[in-house]
Amino acid sequence: MTMADKMVMVVSEGSFDKAMMPLIMGNTAASMGMEVHVFFTFFGLKLLKKGVKPKLNGMMRPFTGMIERKMKKLKIPGFAEMMAQARDLDVKLYACSTSMALMGVGKEELIDGVKILGASAFLDIAADSKVNLFIG
Amino acid sequence: MPIVKLAKMIKEMQSGQVLELFADDIGSKDDVPAWCRRTGNELLGMEEDGATFKFYIKLK
Repeated sequence: MTMADKMVMVVSEGSFDKAMMPLIMGNTAASMGMEVHVFFTFFGLKLLKKGVKPKLNGMMRPFTGMIERKMKKLKIPGFAEMMAQARDLDVKLYACSTSMALMGVGKEELIDGVKILGASAFLDIAADSKVNLFIG
Repeated sequence: MPIVKLAKMIKEMQSGQVLELFADDIGSKDDVPAWCRRTGNELLGMEEDGATFKFYIKLK
């Protein structure tokens, strides 16, 4: 059996759109048999917090509800459902240890199943990945 | 997002079975063949019926 292709994504923002993008791409990739690793850093860390409900940034914030309703109409799952789907599909989620220290985020604030990694460990995973994306 | 549902469905199926997939997502026209290529499952055929895409996939 051939080794699965690896896909790595780095997420550095925590807005609604930046949250949905890696989930849509990551869940799709995992459905195609790829091994998916998603590394959350800086503002992306907030997406790994318990109970988070991501919103669109700045002026667009009040329009978050509108986009969510549109997604529901198009049968695109929302953030919480996508995160659950990612878990089912064995998408690996990582929190950047440096960012956690910088942003003052404690391990107890994060959802279950997140591994905490530093840049070197992450680069080790990314070095031989087929697809490398930066979302930020 | 038909691909995610597709991946979930085939987990409960056996080798040699044929899956009939209906999708109204226009991306599925390219997504489903791509999924088949990557996963080694055979796309037996594809039809467009109005706004619905119909795919026939044989499980490896």
